[in-house]
Amino acid sequence: MPIYYLRLAALSYKRNPVLSTLMVLAVSIGIGAYMVIFTLNYVMGGDPIPHKSEQLYHVQLDISEAGQDRQAPVQLTYLDATALMESAPAQRQTTTSKFGAILEPGNPELRPFSILGRGASADFFPMFDVPFIYGGPWSGDADDNLEQVVVLSRELNEELFGGQDSVGEQIRLHGTNFTVMGVIDDWNPVPKFYDVNNGPFDSGEELYIPWPLLVSMELSRSGNTNCFQAVEGSGLQAFLNSECVWIQYWAELPTAADRATYQSFIESYAAEQNALGRFQNDLSRNRLYDVEEWLIEEEVLPDETRILSALAAMLLAVCLLNTIGLLLSKFLGKAPEIGVRQALGAHKGSLFVQHVIEAGFIGLLGGLLGLAVASFGLEGIKILLGDDVMMTNWIQLNVPVVIVTIALAIVSTVIAGLYPIWRACNINPAIHLKTQ
Amino acid sequence: MLKMIDVSKVFRTELVETHALTDFSLTVGEGEFVTITGPSGCGKTTFLNIAGLLETLSSGQYLLDGVDVSTLSDYQRAKLRNQKIGFIFQSFNLMPDLNLFDNIDVPLRYRGMKGAERRERIEQALEAVGLAARKKHVPSQLSGGQQQRVAIARALVGEPRFLLADEPTGNLDSNTAQGVMELLNEINDKGTTIIMVTHDEQLAQRSQRNIHILDGRIANPVLTPLKTPGESTAAMA
Repeated sequence: MPIYYLRLAALSYKRNPVLSTLMVLAVSIGIGAYMVIFTLNYVMGGDPIPHKSEQLYHVQLDISEAGQDRQAPVQLTYLDATALMESAPAQRQTTTSKFGAILEPGNPELRPFSILGRGASADFFPMFDVPFIYGGPWSGDADDNLEQVVVLSRELNEELFGGQDSVGEQIRLHGTNFTVMGVIDDWNPVPKFYDVNNGPFDSGEELYIPWPLLVSMELSRSGNTNCFQAVEGSGLQAFLNSECVWIQYWAELPTAADRATYQSFIESYAAEQNALGRFQNDLSRNRLYDVEEWLIEEEVLPDETRILSALAAMLLAVCLLNTIGLLLSKFLGKAPEIGVRQALGAHKGSLFVQHVIEAGFIGLLGGLLGLAVASFGLEGIKILLGDDVMMTNWIQLNVPVVIVTIALAIVSTVIAGLYPIWRACNINPAIHLKTQ
Repeated sequence: MLKMIDVSKVFRTELVETHALTDFSLTVGEGEFVTITGPSGCGKTTFLNIAGLLETLSSGQYLLDGVDVSTLSDYQRAKLRNQKIGFIFQSFNLMPDLNLFDNIDVPLRYRGMKGAERRERIEQALEAVGLAARKKHVPSQLSGGQQQRVAIARALVGEPRFLLADEPTGNLDSNTAQGVMELLNEINDKGTTIIMVTHDEQLAQRSQRNIHILDGRIANPVLTPLKTPGESTAAMA
């Protein structure tokens, strides 16, 4: 019977195309607008590493002075980052910072060009489950020994080596030769949780090198740097000794006990620093955030999207209210047919199912058209945001969003249709059989 | 057998109470051809709707093949209607979007019959009313008489015990009406009980029994058959 009812729904659409099309348009506009905002929320507010987001912790140390009315810094100083790397009790941990440099391709046909790279510890790759197509990450020894090794992105490997396995090949960066250890596959977590204060919706970096090399090679930092006190003196060493924060720090703590131990460690460290005249605020301001907590703390999802969500939901509600009216008109217009069907043996249950399927059919068409509306809307959002605000190539409909769109359209139309369906199923057939 | 005992039907609105049927008692036996006559608004159609389980009764008792229908649920009434009752309407009430085959298919769908059996029955029904060649046509492509024949095929395809007809010739010219009446007589001769509402006194006189209704009551309570079952075909020929 469901297929029979679906066929009746299609015939019913044909019988009254204007009314039916109006309903499809109302549903599609409401659903399309809602899905534009849903997509933004979904990709901006989604968990970028769901399988271990509760095991990865951003470390925040509050170096601000007592009485300074400002939030705790989101990055660490060089002093604190290196101290934690030496002694903090984590299964894995990484310092990481963004940098810019000039790359000199070995291919004489290519000119030198500037790239954005990331300094990271060896643990960065296994911590964040970075996928490799060739080779793998460098070892911890490479960090300690300042080895000139590099991991390339798939795109850069395409550009430099035509996509071939380049492990063992040499590239020249900032006047120094680096050996390629691995090439990572497409990897672009959205938001870029490991560095939300340097463009949470930017693309990933083009290459990765051991983080200590940023200092030893005096590479140019590309991310935000905030100083909580004036730098005393000049030169690199003065900067490294300063209260300037520029390093993101993450630890992998698989269990609650690991987290408690690490929290205890950073509080002890803060107390120790407090004795030295630093860390003058409440020790509880030195804390760990898992990925989800960190994205909320940093307000990665802008407030505007919440307002837009409410507006889109209201628009959807208005469209569905219109759909209720249109469905009521359509189904009550079918009263003679419903009367005949009752005379021929249809009971209220079968009529209810028939009309639920008809409403669902309208919802399905509205959902499909809504996908087109949503695609159009998302293109508009990309134009509005522009690449200068953020990288927008991740703003697109994906399979889960498409499924949610269709399902939401069908379910919401069926819900909107419940009252019209109830009215239609409760008509008195006798009246309509005589007057048809 | 159809039996009504002291059946009353009252329609109520906030302002008006209308007694459509009052203490209405009637028994229709197996294979009878009964006509119902009376002026407009006398309760003929209300009687037919109650008989066809499309209306509930306000009081009294209605037994259809021994089953007291007043206690049945909507589902049970629909099932009984589907299996035992066929309807023919003055305005045919065919579904304009469906072709003849699909129109006749409707009651069989609600019976949950398998596709092959449905197809066989529909083709037989179309054959019986002489429209087998036009099964893919939609109702608007047929004349009034042909549409009523399709409606008769739809009413009979489920092999009901009772055929309820509400002025089936009211929208037809006299020649076509004659053809439809002949078809109904053939159906009655094969054992189907027919109850037909009509304004046409001539048609009524030619049935086995005529019930005249006035103000919701039977006006000719002496229920003497005009003709015995089996005589109708000869009488109308």
